[in-house]
Amino acid sequence: MPDDSGYHFDPDFIVDHLGDLGTGLLRTLAISAIGMAGALIVGALLGAISALRVPVARQLITVYVEVFRNTPLLVQIFFLYFALPETGLQLGGFTVGWLSLLLWGGAYNVENFRAGFEAVEGGYVEACRALGFPRLAAFRHVTLPIGARIALPSVTNILISVFKNSSFMVAISYPELTETAVNIVAVTFRVFEMFLAIGIVYLGLVWLMSLGARAVEGRFAIPGGH
Amino acid sequence: MPAWVGPVADYLAGGLRETALLALVSIAASLLVGILLGALLTLPSKPVRAVVRAYVEIWRGLPIIIILFLIFFVLPIIGVRVNTFIAAAIGLSLWGSANVAEVVRGAVQSVPRGQAEAAAALGFSWTGRMRHVLLPQAARRALPPLIGLVVNLTQQTSLAAVIGLVDILEASQRSIERLTLSGGSTHAVPILGAVLAVFFVICLPLTMLSRWYERRLH
Repeated sequence: MPDDSGYHFDPDFIVDHLGDLGTGLLRTLAISAIGMAGALIVGALLGAISALRVPVARQLITVYVEVFRNTPLLVQIFFLYFALPETGLQLGGFTVGWLSLLLWGGAYNVENFRAGFEAVEGGYVEACRALGFPRLAAFRHVTLPIGARIALPSVTNILISVFKNSSFMVAISYPELTETAVNIVAVTFRVFEMFLAIGIVYLGLVWLMSLGARAVEGRFAIPGGH
Repeated sequence: MPAWVGPVADYLAGGLRETALLALVSIAASLLVGILLGALLTLPSKPVRAVVRAYVEIWRGLPIIIILFLIFFVLPIIGVRVNTFIAAAIGLSLWGSANVAEVVRGAVQSVPRGQAEAAAALGFSWTGRMRHVLLPQAARRALPPLIGLVVNLTQQTSLAAVIGLVDILEASQRSIERLTLSGGSTHAVPILGAVLAVFFVICLPLTMLSRWYERRLH
């Protein structure tokens, strides 16, 4: 791509750095996978406690959710990485990576699951209770399977955001994919090649995840809609 | 109050001004461009929709930090000189407008089909149908998610720190570094805690407003 400034696009350059980029991508996938799995579990568990209106626990969960939803993920990452050591808790880049993503995604998913559980028609649970099911059993057999399906599209959206936001770790110099690319750019100035390469990788993976999410949503769709 | 607090607070206030200005510019541009693109996505013309769809998919699909790096590093290479503020504003607006467009498209298409057909039968042009029939109804449905996007954009301004804008987050980092160099103690907990608190105080009322409005719609 020659232009006025004399910049020449060099595709071989990407090939030369595939090894480094691959290592970075593996780190991106590692912190994303732990963060996504954790955000799913935390969201479902705390969302259920919240929907069941367990006293005290529900209020504590609300505080967690509101704090993490109403502050920037990047500032949360900085707090974990730069401020916690002051309190004697030193966390490495990898730990801050998956932990910050888990806490952030978890907070959004608590809301998604809670809303899903609360959207389940009251009559279903009442019928279940009338048949003699204890409260928890009614939740497990009725509210959970229906509510989780209602919550599914918003939950998968957040999980995909967790993957995209793993790139925020560039701010604490954890060498995931974006930080790896920025470091290569810093010594070689091959800006176009690098950002084109990782841009395609991120877009491709997001696209694949969206396809997967739609497939899962289709598989678990409530027959006849809701 | 310890002596370090005053100067740090002043410095953070300067950063907050940058943050607020960046948020306002990005929100305004995102809404303006996004509503227009969202309306275009409901046009019958396939080529128009394909072009807008590509824009939306690219800028929604990329991580925001990659968009900021793209703008910040790539624009100078093609001969466009921009400072960090403009680069951040462009990057956030690309991301924001793509997301607004998707919200607006969803809201317009959720208005029952018969409404547009009735307006067409009465002789309204596309712009007339949009302005007088579809957009006013879509606006009510789009409002809660749009407020959510405003909160999101406000929070994402902190990413401008990564490309070097002295916003509130970068100001806090520099304060922490300066305190470490001069006194040895970093005071990172109260300083970053204050940054979290500032965002929380701005975003929580908006989040609550969005939730309240959403509940009122149902």
